[in-house]
Amino acid sequence: MPRVFVSTVIDAPPARVWERIRDFNALPRWHPRIRESRIENGEPSDKVGCVRDFTLQNGDRLREKLLGLSDYDMFCTYAILEGPMPLTDYVATLRLTPITDGDRTFAEWSAEFECADEVADDLVGGIGTNVFQGGFDALKRHFGG
Amino acid sequence: MVKIVKSTIMEAPVEAVWEVLRDFNGHDQWHPAVADSHIERGQPSDKVGCVRRFHLADGSELREQLLTMSDIDMAFSYCLLDTPIPLLNYVAHVRLIPVTDGDMTFWHWESRFDTPPGREAELQKQVGEEIYEGGFHAVRAFMGLAPASQGGA
Repeated sequence: MPRVFVSTVIDAPPARVWERIRDFNALPRWHPRIRESRIENGEPSDKVGCVRDFTLQNGDRLREKLLGLSDYDMFCTYAILEGPMPLTDYVATLRLTPITDGDRTFAEWSAEFECADEVADDLVGGIGTNVFQGGFDALKRHFGG
Repeated sequence: MVKIVKSTIMEAPVEAVWEVLRDFNGHDQWHPAVADSHIERGQPSDKVGCVRRFHLADGSELREQLLTMSDIDMAFSYCLLDTPIPLLNYVAHVRLIPVTDGDMTFWHWESRFDTPPGREAELQKQVGEEIYEGGFHAVRAFMGLAPASQGGA
């Protein structure tokens, strides 16, 4: 099962970073690759089980389901229901942990999925670079890290 | 029950930090609070269940048992068996995670324990600052790394 793991240090207190990313419908506000997003059926975006339907800057559309959300542990887990990538069983977690030495944030974004062997490396590289590191770079720019 | 969580960023690859920390008997080489240490019964220091018996600079003796050790997770747990410091039911967890954009290491050290009534804050401060934060500084010095950067990472 291919696995993606990307992590970084953000120069801001974890509560402030979490405030920016905890809204499952907020991708267009902080991730540069996402153009627009909505939650299906008018549900609140922190209702576990809700589905976000969003569009990338290139026009690709994805639907993702919120599987877990914890304000206490500061993590969010979700699965892809529909999307353009040739993969299945995609589950990802975005997690923040305090760095007590300096009041900074350690951010981790990981995913596992199933796919054909010949596309695994491209998918791992693309998701890790464009989606995860791209999101972290935007957060680091926002918080001046 | 008192809980302590301390964490830092080490400016070194995770494998290098793990090589130092995974030796359960290695703390007398880097931690200023530990004068000497050995593993009881001649067991290897990565045998789960082994006991390290060590002395602090003031001569007091402690015994700690290795509860878990994982090279794949780069994590281990241990508990206190005997101690002159009143830390009761003390269990600690150490975990390293790579910082992939920068080839650094996130080091997380946490514990829970009970104390005699009224000594919670004092012992929480002592363990958190002298043992954990002191340990961060000491491993940095042991590895020849720069002091912690407070922000601007």
